[in-house]
Amino acid sequence: MRLALWWSGRALSAAATLLGVSVLIFAAVRMMPGGFAETILGPFATPEQKAELAARYGLDQPVFLQYGHWLAAVAGGDFGTSMISRQPVADELLARLPVTAELTAFSVAAALLLGVPLGVLTAVRARPRGGAAAGRLLSGLGVSVPEFVLGSLAVFLFSRYALGVPAGGYVPFGQDPAGNLASMVLPSAVLSVFALSATARTTRDAVLGVLVEPYVTAAVARGETPWFIVRHHILRNAAGPVVTLVATITAYLLGGALVVEYVFNLPGIGSYIVQAVGRRDYAVVQAGVLLAAAVFIVMNALVDLAVGALDPRLGVTGKGAA
Amino acid sequence: MRALLRDLDGLSRAGLACLALLVLVALGSVVHLGGDPDAIVGPRLQPPGPQWWLGTDNLGRSMLPRVMEGVGTTLLLSSVAVLVTAVVSAGFGILAGYRGGYVSELVLRLVEVLYSFPAVVLAILVAAVMGPGQTAALAAIVLVTIPLMTRLVRAAAAGVARRDYVTAAVISGARLSRVLGRHVLPNVSGTIAVQGTYALSVGISVEGGLSFLGFGVQPPQASLGVLIRQGGTYMIAAPWLVAGPCAVLVVAILAINVLGDGLRDRLEPRQPRSLT
Amino acid sequence: MRHTRPAVGVTALVLLAAACSPGPGAAPGAATPAPAKPGYLAVADPALPGGGTLNFQVHVDTGAATGLDPQLADVATSWQLMSLVYETLVTVGPDFSIQPMLAERWETPDPTTYVFHLREGVKFSNGRAMTADDVVGSLKRLLASKSVWVGQLGPVKSVAKDGDAAVRVTLKEPYAPFLAALANVPAAVLPMKEVEDKSVDLATTMLGTGPYVVGEHRQDVSWSFRRNPEYWAQGRPALDAVNVTIAPEEAARIAALQNGSASMATLGNVDSAGMLAGAANVQVLSQATTDFYYLMLNTQAPGSKFADPRVRQAVNLAMNRTQIAEVATGGQGKPTGVTPAGLPGACDPATLPSATGGGAEAARRLLAEAGAQNLSFTLAIYSTEPAPAVAQVIQQNLQQAGITVKIEQTDEATWAGKVYGKAPAEFDAALSWFAGYADAGMVTKWWNPDVAGFNAGFMKADAALSEAIDAAGKATGAARTEALAKVCQEADRDAQMIPLVTRPVTVAYRTDALSPSLYATEGYGNVLRLLPEIRAKKAQ
Repeated sequence: MRLALWWSGRALSAAATLLGVSVLIFAAVRMMPGGFAETILGPFATPEQKAELAARYGLDQPVFLQYGHWLAAVAGGDFGTSMISRQPVADELLARLPVTAELTAFSVAAALLLGVPLGVLTAVRARPRGGAAAGRLLSGLGVSVPEFVLGSLAVFLFSRYALGVPAGGYVPFGQDPAGNLASMVLPSAVLSVFALSATARTTRDAVLGVLVEPYVTAAVARGETPWFIVRHHILRNAAGPVVTLVATITAYLLGGALVVEYVFNLPGIGSYIVQAVGRRDYAVVQAGVLLAAAVFIVMNALVDLAVGALDPRLGVTGKGAA
Repeated sequence: MRALLRDLDGLSRAGLACLALLVLVALGSVVHLGGDPDAIVGPRLQPPGPQWWLGTDNLGRSMLPRVMEGVGTTLLLSSVAVLVTAVVSAGFGILAGYRGGYVSELVLRLVEVLYSFPAVVLAILVAAVMGPGQTAALAAIVLVTIPLMTRLVRAAAAGVARRDYVTAAVISGARLSRVLGRHVLPNVSGTIAVQGTYALSVGISVEGGLSFLGFGVQPPQASLGVLIRQGGTYMIAAPWLVAGPCAVLVVAILAINVLGDGLRDRLEPRQPRSLT
Repeated sequence: MRHTRPAVGVTALVLLAAACSPGPGAAPGAATPAPAKPGYLAVADPALPGGGTLNFQVHVDTGAATGLDPQLADVATSWQLMSLVYETLVTVGPDFSIQPMLAERWETPDPTTYVFHLREGVKFSNGRAMTADDVVGSLKRLLASKSVWVGQLGPVKSVAKDGDAAVRVTLKEPYAPFLAALANVPAAVLPMKEVEDKSVDLATTMLGTGPYVVGEHRQDVSWSFRRNPEYWAQGRPALDAVNVTIAPEEAARIAALQNGSASMATLGNVDSAGMLAGAANVQVLSQATTDFYYLMLNTQAPGSKFADPRVRQAVNLAMNRTQIAEVATGGQGKPTGVTPAGLPGACDPATLPSATGGGAEAARRLLAEAGAQNLSFTLAIYSTEPAPAVAQVIQQNLQQAGITVKIEQTDEATWAGKVYGKAPAEFDAALSWFAGYADAGMVTKWWNPDVAGFNAGFMKADAALSEAIDAAGKATGAARTEALAKVCQEADRDAQMIPLVTRPVTVAYRTDALSPSLYATEGYGNVLRLLPEIRAKKAQ
């Protein structure tokens, strides 16, 4: 019962955050200088054309009314119409979702499947002195190279020299599955470098933290095999920070995907948002950013639940993983 | 300070040295040590040579003063932004952590709203509202780095608030400002220093990314992001335009991260590392 | 020869520049594929079989929410894509000659009357035959619209059918650029029957007589076009399909050319030839255009420093157009007056007072005279290359005359809002480019804000200049060249909008995939003008 109460409280606070986010997005979009009319109608538009456009999209109403209408529509699943393409924003986002989803999924998978074992391995292995510094430097390097640097470098190398995989351009999966995977190799690799290094670092820290606990010492004293200790003591107790990390990483990747999509010219949601900001396509910016924030908020709530399930003590205190 | 330096491991000291060197370079650019970064001095796209040590760019400007100016712009912007973040986060974090209750809840909620935006998206929105430029880049870095630091300072302050010496101070009738300033702040300063270091590396990366996307610092002023954006187009014809700024950017972020790790191990052993 | 400027000229210029420099110049030149006819950069090999696909990449899609109505299209990128579907009565040939298109021939019985004889067998892509009513209706619709192109079409008095196969247009007075204005997409022949019975909404659907029909369009992402089976020209178009990808990042377009996923692309960077120098099977061509960059000085803001003509003339004097052309456009653009350099009858910018008047020193004196020493102002530009490069060279130029320029670079949306959003406009100075069109007198009309209302926020009509512009519209033959020279002089003196240098366009294609046809010069920013002739080298 207390757990159910805490969960509903957590859902409520997530909803409150989302509401706050929606206010902030709406305010930001309306505060952008440079009129939608000049952008959309071009420099040669007449005042009548501008007024007509404003009326068509309800932009002549008071701002708080516009916000109310928008919020009500979004709650009903209607994200509005793109002023540029005149298509429903939901359709536009849906058409671009596979690119971003694929990119993010590949990178999360790489982070977990490679990063976690790497982190555990570097933590439990006895390390010579020089090796420790080299490992720190290497994983530090991974989190220190921004996507736009790595991406530009990859585009250069892979387009200058034919290295087997295309650098840039997108092939829909339904059209050519092999071509699709080939076109995603490089962008996913670039995007996952940070996530992978961060996962490895966090896992290593968490495992190192557990390693000094008395129960590990006791297990070693009992003569348990290293693998048994890793599986039964270390992984279970180090899981909390790692699970928390997954949410943070997913959110981070949504932002990173924007840069990667931009660099590799992939028609995903991130590059769409950048374009929409440039063209003042209000409905698209609002829906796109809200979607990204919502994914993060939901992921965080889910992770809190998962961590609560892993460690019931956290749930009862009422303080999630802050 | 000397004790701190002695306690840092070799790698962190190397990071500190790198950073000091970059600051020197930045200071040099202020007095135009390498030349005027905006002046057209020679033919376009010349490879490095005796007249222009790092070559010339697509307008025939010498790259040496441009890279120096770029380092300066990027470092200055990020440092100022992190200072602002540190002050704001320390203020709200300490208050929230000490007071707890609804104050803490309110601060956490506000911070959570900011935290829900992917960093790049938040930065682009800020730039779109304020108009691209230095101020936008600065504001973007502040908004991106505030959430994590506020949360961690709040957590640390909440721990300190339960300590006996704080209770003793409160019982002896000290004013709130004195309790927070004399007792809580010194004990969370480690967290602020460590998170500030990490925030600096985030700041450099955000400035670079924002300028790379064209929303940040505007030419002719150089920043590392601007130089990488401009040089990126010439990667094949003139790789020296992009190689230098890229290397400096990565070295700067790496040096700061390594220094942050060292500081963390020294100041607050066994705290989980920050991610972003 | 002056106005054709084959790409060989560019190479020579670059070699010259390289000879002056101590090291080997990395500045690239565009090579010419041999052999090409005069007036052409490339001619498709007619021996190649038809069929195949063109994968074309550009940096920007058609202009937004005015929709797909060709009459409202006001930017060159829109014209280019719409030209696949829509056709005009006449078209522009090599070296800006006017050629027949939907009109097979035409007569001008007197200087104010044009009779167009329509081509037989022309059908819209829905199968309906084009009629004289479609032509008359389209022109009347255009004249009644708010299209900016009405200002270019000139003093049209009436449009009427002349039998079933001819259309008669009467002008109020002689107007030299009339045919050139008819040759652009906003004057296209529309399916007026379907427009009038509302079965077709031109804002969302494209239905024309052109070589291709729209398969799919995703705004700002891609277009797919397929062959129009009803197309009137025998054996044209050669290609079965055209796919257009919108790739805003220059690096992405270059990468696509290198890996072959694009068979043709337009590039904005003036050094693209050098960037693609090492790429196998990629040919880079520099097409001369009549488009040119110009500087707007806002005279209408309260207390504007530019209200004094001497201050504007000082700015004009300090401008080093040769340096702007060489540095900012990599030697591919060239100095121009208000009549676009390269067009027949255009004036020579080197003879204008701004070029011969003594440069920075004279500018300083003029500023002192006007009491405007230590002039400083903000220059609003957008970030699309090479505008920032042009602005930075301007900044250096003006510094020579003691003028401080602060560059304010924004995205195009913010820029447009600042420059065109308010009257009076709030900027000090701004940089942009105009398409130069196909007749030397056309773009000059934008120098009269009474015709070009979009400029009225920052400039006021200058009586002498407006008179010169109108006179040049009416003049013919040798008198016209003289009248155009007068326009140049007046615009140079007025200096509210200062012409700078022409804007070169770089086109790159895969030699293993494509055999393109391309004019050496272009007035409407349409590198796909000869698309029906382009052939693929391998069936894809």
